[in-house]
Amino acid sequence: MSLDVLIRYAPSLISGFGVTVMCWGVGGALGIALGFVIALLFRLRIAPLTWALRVFVEVFRGTPFLVQLFLLYAGGPYIGLRLSATAAGVLGLGVYSSAYFAEIFRAGFAAVPVGQIEAAMSVGMTPRDTLLRVTLPGALIAATPPIVNMLVVLSKETVVLSIITVPELMYQMQTMAAETFTAFDSIFAMAAFYWLLVEATSRVGRRVEARVTAFLQEEAKPA
Amino acid sequence: MHLEVILHSFGYLAQAAAVTLAISLAGILLGFVIGAGACVARLSRRVWVAALAGVYVSVFRGVPLLVLLLFIYYFLAEFGLDVPALAAAIGGLALSSGAYQTEILRGALNAVPKGQAEAAVALGFTGPEIWRRILLPQALRISIPPLINEFILLLKASSLVSVVGIAELTRVSMNIATMTYRPLEAYVGAALFYLAINLVLAGCGGLAERRLAEGAR
Amino acid sequence: MIEIRGLRKRFGAHEVLRGVDLSIAASEVVCLIGPSGSGKSTLLRCVNFLESYDAGEVRVAGQLIGYEEGPDEIRRPMAARRLRKMRREIGMVFQHFNLWPHMSALNNVAEPLRRVRGLAHAEAYERALAMLTRVGLADKAHAFPSRLSGGQQQRVAIARALAMQPNVMLFDEPTSALDPELVGEVLEVMKSLAAEGMTMLIVTHEMGFAANVAKRIAFIDEGRILDDGPPRRVLHESPEPRVRQFFQTYHDRNSF
Repeated sequence: MSLDVLIRYAPSLISGFGVTVMCWGVGGALGIALGFVIALLFRLRIAPLTWALRVFVEVFRGTPFLVQLFLLYAGGPYIGLRLSATAAGVLGLGVYSSAYFAEIFRAGFAAVPVGQIEAAMSVGMTPRDTLLRVTLPGALIAATPPIVNMLVVLSKETVVLSIITVPELMYQMQTMAAETFTAFDSIFAMAAFYWLLVEATSRVGRRVEARVTAFLQEEAKPA
Repeated sequence: MHLEVILHSFGYLAQAAAVTLAISLAGILLGFVIGAGACVARLSRRVWVAALAGVYVSVFRGVPLLVLLLFIYYFLAEFGLDVPALAAAIGGLALSSGAYQTEILRGALNAVPKGQAEAAVALGFTGPEIWRRILLPQALRISIPPLINEFILLLKASSLVSVVGIAELTRVSMNIATMTYRPLEAYVGAALFYLAINLVLAGCGGLAERRLAEGAR
Repeated sequence: MIEIRGLRKRFGAHEVLRGVDLSIAASEVVCLIGPSGSGKSTLLRCVNFLESYDAGEVRVAGQLIGYEEGPDEIRRPMAARRLRKMRREIGMVFQHFNLWPHMSALNNVAEPLRRVRGLAHAEAYERALAMLTRVGLADKAHAFPSRLSGGQQQRVAIARALAMQPNVMLFDEPTSALDPELVGEVLEVMKSLAAEGMTMLIVTHEMGFAANVAKRIAFIDEGRILDDGPPRRVLHESPEPRVRQFFQTYHDRNSF
């Protein structure tokens, strides 16, 4: 693949990368927000609500992302939801990941040692204060590694968006490949690019994890 | 919602579901062979062998499956090999899954309590014996729940092989959608099949975990 | 200060407390000793109602805890707000410290003062710092629990409970999770608290501490108090054979 091919397509590739990052960022944020709300709703222990949420989580964790996307994009208009490809992509990522984030937050809450809550009870803290000052911070700290992990997974899922013609990076590269008959080179470059991206993101992610989970380390060894 | 669409296409979807299962099974088994090999390589004392395996794991966990599938498809076409889409699909799934299975197996080996190997050494077992009689059986036992989980993930990932034209569940539901103009019903039908398979697998996974936990005591 | 009468508690089919009577007067230090499974931790946790109880009474400073005053057969759970109010006056120190890991030592101590006692920022920090100084950890005020040794964490936990100025302090095996070297620093703090006249109920295995600091030792086994009296008597000359047997094996193992 010659350099001028790349230069010619640079604008569309950069725009594609921008769309990828946007979809990943907005989709991820949506997923985290929705997942968090679902986890909180689970804690209310209202039987019919819990049941409905369980079904939601199991359905979106138990079916392929691609099928969910098709349902949203192609099936949406039949229930009055007319979305552009990109909107469907972002919404799809958000809903798909929310099911995983809901489980992550649920596990995070469960990971807060009951002793810390008993300590709050023993000084007479109200349930509200206990939730805000003890349970929630503890749950978020415990949930950080799986959240980071899921965000990395999500960044790889963005390529699936190209199938419903969202103009993200993979789509732009495939267009370039088709128009310039450089399929092999293009896909190779794309693979290399994503590999580097995921490696870099994973490393940053591990740094963030280490910083946050330092709180969880139990006890310093005596000097 | 026209539920009769799902009913009428039930036969096609069921067939496609079988294809999905078959491809995923082939993928995970081949992936196990690759993963086990890479895992052994990772533990090799020859630095370059271990490093190579490390690169394999890093690359095939980092490259999205879709990219990998297309790469294999076009890669082979580039060199004039007219590889059937099926081979590309299973190969892609296997290579990708293999990378994750390498880490699962590595984790399982690490999870075997160190004291057991130490006791064996103290009792005079030879290296290969320790491997065969103590480490391997336990590591395999420990790795079954995460491997079942990996199978569930692979099953969902298999929907991507629809792009190379394999007549699995997602592809067939796409065809039904375009033929009947009822995408909702078609994709809900596919979703139901995926859910059903996953439910069964998750049940197996839970059973396996409980059975194996008992064995550990 | 603490009055326990006829206390009974069961977990499922297993009756853990079978009619316990125990009284602790103001400024008394009582050590609760017994084999594992005897119910000593459960008994302690009933005092601030971290565990509910099925029959009998637990009174702290004269007031029944956990249930509304009323005829014994009709047990209405105490209103949450009143329970919290009662708990403010009872301090508890846990075996595993239970410090909040995302807060510094100072914040751990100041947090209940701000949230529960309603003190303003500045005042809460001032008091918290004073408490940390009291337990000898003023220089670690801004350290997080993960940077503190077990003994230091436990002292912070004591400061946290103490800062609330409770009427009575409960200790649930405060040194059992510590490296042997670190036990001493915690016992020293507890000794000084006793010397100041704090009412203390301590579940412990530290016989030396019990012998020297406690006013009384209560021996509990299988949910019943078998002996309750001065350390001298309970440790060496108890009229109860089970108690003598327990401490005999202890003396055997520990006289070197």
